[in-house]
Amino acid sequence: MTHPPMSSGAHADGGTDASVQLVVDGLNKLICHEIPSAHSISLERLSRAAGGLSRENWSLDASWTDANGQHAHRLMLMRDAAGTLLNTERSREFGVLKALEGSAVAAPIVHWMDPDGRFLGAPSVVMALMPGSCDYMVLNGSRPLQERLQLAHDFLELLVDIQAIDWRAAGLGEVLGVPEDSPAKIELRHWQAEYLRVRLEPHPELDYVLAWLGRTAPQAEAVVLVHGDFKPGNALIEGKQITAKLDWETAHLGDPLEDLGWITNPVRKREHQISGHWERQQIIETYRQLTGRKVCEADLTWWNVFSCWKLAVIQLTAVNEFVAGRYNRVFHTPSWLFRPMLQMMEGAR
Amino acid sequence: MRPTVEEQLQGTCRILETVVAPCVSEPFARTILDNLIANLRMMTVALPTVAGFQRDDNEATLRQLLALREALPPELVARINQAVAANEPDVADGPAQEERNRLLRELLAAAVCSSNLTPEMHHAIVNSMIHRASRVPMRYVPTVASVNTSAAKR
Repeated sequence: MTHPPMSSGAHADGGTDASVQLVVDGLNKLICHEIPSAHSISLERLSRAAGGLSRENWSLDASWTDANGQHAHRLMLMRDAAGTLLNTERSREFGVLKALEGSAVAAPIVHWMDPDGRFLGAPSVVMALMPGSCDYMVLNGSRPLQERLQLAHDFLELLVDIQAIDWRAAGLGEVLGVPEDSPAKIELRHWQAEYLRVRLEPHPELDYVLAWLGRTAPQAEAVVLVHGDFKPGNALIEGKQITAKLDWETAHLGDPLEDLGWITNPVRKREHQISGHWERQQIIETYRQLTGRKVCEADLTWWNVFSCWKLAVIQLTAVNEFVAGRYNRVFHTPSWLFRPMLQMMEGAR
Repeated sequence: MRPTVEEQLQGTCRILETVVAPCVSEPFARTILDNLIANLRMMTVALPTVAGFQRDDNEATLRQLLALREALPPELVARINQAVAANEPDVADGPAQEERNRLLRELLAAAVCSSNLTPEMHHAIVNSMIHRASRVPMRYVPTVASVNTSAAKR
């Protein structure tokens, strides 16, 4: 059985003709591999998104006929870019999304995976295109204050829902690995290895912070599912509702304070907080009420510092990839992160 | 020499913005182009200050290493002494200044992680690191749009 590379009338923009053709050919093969009885495959309105720091994101309309009848879906293909800021495995993301199906956590339904890129040329995941739009700064945008406050609260509830997932029952221990040491130490070791891999020059500031992080790593109160990059920019909103939490490639099992540390991180206030209404203390207090957890301030500060340090390593990855000619945006050493990290450490001494 | 480096960078930005960018309708390519133009604009301002920053940074780093010496292990002190004894490269020799900076910051990275530092030393380290961070001339300029539709997201 053969399939045309792209059905007649298909429109594709975003990406060169060669990359579009590669995606179309790859998707055809992937669909045939996953659904052997599929035929009359049509891929329409293929478009590469403008964003995407780590992956190519292609949206499309797909339809096909198989032994069960006709199917039509709006899909999102997420394909590893040549240069990437995050060294992650598609199989982990696929496993997490599968485990979240039917849970209280709004997340895309995943269809297929090409873990080694044999069809699409690079590791890829295909999922449902969810309704809604993404707004990194929604909490400080043009919506009325009450609406923004409700969204802020909803985001925190979503975080709590993620942490409430029974990861053992969902089989996530096998997919993600169960921490056998302090999750803080495990995360630090992981990102330290990344740091040593990607840095192109000495960074005394980052070494100094790393030494402090190593000396003061906290114990976790519990082990939960951690999103790893929890922010409004990784969610879709339709009207007043959060329709999906996206970008699960850094999900892992770890400390509940890790995601909380990410959203109370002072360098990302504009994304996560509403001045005078939804600030660090209000977030912590609401989190305590929702979860019954204690939230040790010193431990949370450790995760705040870690968040900045991890962000710095991700940016150094971008520097490395740019210099190697694999990444098409110019990044620099994130010196803007040094001051807040060092001040938080000083305050914690 | 006219056009100066600054004039060339400014002119390049102007041409990219007024001639090239309006013809780039594909969103992903336009995002990349905007990032490149923003970086060129940043470089236009930063470039004239890089040599001075590096020279000052080398001097400040050396002073800091000398101030920490008493708390450092002998092997590291010996490496610092070697760096002190080495001739300062010519100010106009960019690559030599860069290499000097790399060496001194490598020594500093080891020194600040020493376990014998006093609280005063830690305080001085933090202050000097914050001071340096505020003066670094090359910086990332964010250009990614904050609002995207789901199809254009990520």
